[in-house]
Amino acid sequence: MVDAARHPKVDIRTYTEVERVDGYVGNFKVLLREKSRYVRADRCNGCGECARVCPIEVPNYFDMNLAPRKAAYVPMSQAVPLVYNIDLDACIHCYKCVEACGKLEAIDFSMKDKLVWEDVGAIIVATGFSHFDPSVMPEYGYGRYPNVITAIEMERLNNTAGPTAGNVIRPSDGTNPRRLAIINCVGSRDKHFNPWCSNFCCMYGIKNAVLLKQTYPDMDITIYYMDIRTPSKGYEEFYDRAREMGIRFIQGRPSMITEDPETRNLFVHSEDVTLGRVIEREYDMVMLNQAAVPQPDVDTTSSVLNVTQSPGGWFMEYHPKLRPIDSPNDGVFLAGACQGVKDIPASVAQGSAAASRAGRILHSDQWEIEPIVAVVWEDRCVSAQGKKCGICAKACPYGAIEYEQGKAAHVVTAKCHGCGGCVAECPHNAITQMHFTDAQILAQLHALLAERPEEKILAFRCHWCSYGGADLAGVSHFEYSSNERGLRVMCSARMDADFIYEAFRLGAGAVLYSGCHPQDCNYITGQRLGAARAERLMKAFEKMEMTPGRFRVEWISAAEGDKYARVINEMQAVLNSIPKEKLMEEIERLRPEMEKRARRLREVPQVEEALEYSRQLEIAMVGEEA
Amino acid sequence: MSDKWTPRIVVFQCQYCLYSEADQKWMDTQLPPHIKLIQVPCTGRISPLFVLNAIQGGTDGILISGCQPEKCHYKEGNLGARRQLDAFRRFLTYLGLEEGRIRFAWIDVSERGRIQQELAGLEKTIQAMGPITRLATRAIPVGEKR
Amino acid sequence: MNHQPETFADQVRAIPGGEHLELCYSCGTCVSKCMIQQKVEPEYNPRRLLHKVMIDLDQEAFADKTTWLCSACDLCYPACPQQIHISKVIGAIKQLAVEAGLTTYLQTAVVNELTCVACGLCVEVCPYEAITLVETSVMFRGKAVTVARVDPNRCMACGLCAASCRSASIGLVDKFSNEAVVAELWDWIRSPVVEVTA
Repeated sequence: MVDAARHPKVDIRTYTEVERVDGYVGNFKVLLREKSRYVRADRCNGCGECARVCPIEVPNYFDMNLAPRKAAYVPMSQAVPLVYNIDLDACIHCYKCVEACGKLEAIDFSMKDKLVWEDVGAIIVATGFSHFDPSVMPEYGYGRYPNVITAIEMERLNNTAGPTAGNVIRPSDGTNPRRLAIINCVGSRDKHFNPWCSNFCCMYGIKNAVLLKQTYPDMDITIYYMDIRTPSKGYEEFYDRAREMGIRFIQGRPSMITEDPETRNLFVHSEDVTLGRVIEREYDMVMLNQAAVPQPDVDTTSSVLNVTQSPGGWFMEYHPKLRPIDSPNDGVFLAGACQGVKDIPASVAQGSAAASRAGRILHSDQWEIEPIVAVVWEDRCVSAQGKKCGICAKACPYGAIEYEQGKAAHVVTAKCHGCGGCVAECPHNAITQMHFTDAQILAQLHALLAERPEEKILAFRCHWCSYGGADLAGVSHFEYSSNERGLRVMCSARMDADFIYEAFRLGAGAVLYSGCHPQDCNYITGQRLGAARAERLMKAFEKMEMTPGRFRVEWISAAEGDKYARVINEMQAVLNSIPKEKLMEEIERLRPEMEKRARRLREVPQVEEALEYSRQLEIAMVGEEA
Repeated sequence: MSDKWTPRIVVFQCQYCLYSEADQKWMDTQLPPHIKLIQVPCTGRISPLFVLNAIQGGTDGILISGCQPEKCHYKEGNLGARRQLDAFRRFLTYLGLEEGRIRFAWIDVSERGRIQQELAGLEKTIQAMGPITRLATRAIPVGEKR
Repeated sequence: MNHQPETFADQVRAIPGGEHLELCYSCGTCVSKCMIQQKVEPEYNPRRLLHKVMIDLDQEAFADKTTWLCSACDLCYPACPQQIHISKVIGAIKQLAVEAGLTTYLQTAVVNELTCVACGLCVEVCPYEAITLVETSVMFRGKAVTVARVDPNRCMACGLCAASCRSASIGLVDKFSNEAVVAELWDWIRSPVVEVTA
């Protein structure tokens, strides 16, 4: 930290919040709120005279509120930069600190928060994690029994720079505990609170036990665990060492802790799974290894940076295996536990990787993006004609579309990732997606349904998930109906309702509308856009009294090849169950309605040429064969 | 009140409610002779007949100890017991029995040492009241012929 | 796709309530939350019973006392980190055991049909809906006599019916019968340790 602070090219802004982020990769504009410390950083030399004279004491959050600090304070002596801070919530305005500061005149009660705009090329999010509060689990009595403490409190007690100078004592009477229980998985691997495994608790529980055993060889330490997880290098050996040191391991999740009201000793009730018997053991102190949870203000951070969250509130990476450091937002990178629980080596590795990913952006003058971006036909955009619209801007998951009434919508190309949501949503066909134009998709659709369309199952697949699922079904040799015809688009958001109507107008037997599961969407919220549209379509077809099952909506991940095959086979079964005459009759009955609804597609520029071209091609091909 | 007088107390205890092993051991082995422990499967099993037998036999105080509401081992047994025995207690009060001689203690599983407190509290109340005089009229069980 | 014959675990999963079976990762919270093992039956262990089902030991699961002793108090359900409704899983195992012709080894409530007046109070109070009023073959004034009857596979022997019966016609046997408890009480009242003042 000190090295970083001294580095000429590193600028550390502490006590500062990011309020707003504008711009795009390489050209971000960031609004920072530098909060007022009421001590001027350029004058304070960190002597600490102000804290010495300050008469107010409040609990120090850095010491887990176990020790006091003054209203004029630094949270810890190694703080970087060593600039004091006045906690105005606690301050009584006696101004003794101003006197003590003397000629330096560093203390300035008239300071205000400063708002600063900064230009940055890339952003790395490394906001870390927070701790689960075990007081919501009444069975463990944290907060009720003084001698039940959390692992972080133990960390402070056992630290030579901590409130007790490294002397581990019982909060109830100040004696050293002789018998200590450590309970793993408090709030983690528990569906009531956090279903995930917190990854590092097994190891830091063992670490704390080993450290305590070294300091207090007589201490009787027992670790209660469900499973001990030691996956990384050297971890299993460390676990062995702990066992050799005489640390006791009991497999069994304690159901409850009770307290003797006189001695304040604790009784841990658990099943010893090895014995198959319930045991109650007495301890002087109990330490809870609580779960790691996302920071409480994770929602604010993700909305400011436009970074999504995966289930549980961790920041979402671009791809879980292949791009674990990039966020879906170009130029914003993730490092450390804010992306998912990880231990120190993994956090350091991810931090270094994020720095080099960011370096790639800073060192290049140009940035390549996918060419599949959206483009606005300005003459067709109704906003340019002064009408109120802005549907495209609302649909965009990246905030890449700038909309102002009276001007045509504008796509910031560097921000656009090419999901095609705006293209499908625009009611005036004023946006197109390069390489996935309406004309191109329509030409594919016509070709796929050229012959005997009533027997075909037309499957709209999203590039990242259901297309991968279909691919896997093929690679894995899962058999499914050969009447299936796949049509790939980038995201379910691109699956325009008009395409579905057009497919049924051409007489398709069945249509599958498939994409990613909501939490897997490669385009942040693209799937949700698609899902909402699919729901509207489903209702419309219900109203038209279409046979249920001819239009189907399924979310299939790239790993679910079996599901893809099953869905297609089920759709084939639906088609088989309808008598042919009845199916043809239904297609004819619905055709006028479908025609009416898909009519708008004909107004799209280039559609007629594309269809004419594909028709010529077809004639040419069939002619050759004949 | 002479110091030598010790009240006689019957404790009806549901066999599930006392969680801690230490408390249960104390109840089983170290109970003073003037206190009698009777275990039942559930407080719901405690018939008014048992209470009446105890009172008429000259017991000075009765402690009924069961699980907390919602934590009954038999779904709603303690709720039934509370309904039935509370009505019976009010009836006995109407007949002239002092309030406080029958005490309920709904003990949560985590309340270590509470049973001792409850017993001490009951004993103190009864010490202040003195020996039972009303209703303690029988020397043989209720229903048995002389 | 699965052509394997149906296993015992599949049978349990097929019964409503039994479907969460395979989520159990044997942490033992249910066992230490339940008071039966500590107070009544040392062999009681729902974790082990669930594991027996998972590896298809049907006869051992039926013979396990856990199958018959669980009184569905659901103290373990809110404690289970996997949110398995354990009492429902055990209920499913018990249902299969009853279908296999087994019956409980517990001493359940007994009705004295000669004195029962079929007032229906016990039917009301029973937490397990184990008691029903049935017509017997005995005729009285031209009508079949109705009495209470206990389903032994539902009764958990809590004694609620015995405490509420106005004619002492239903009760537990042995240790917790009316007679035994009253006798125990009077033994103490008459004992020399305590003087009788009345």
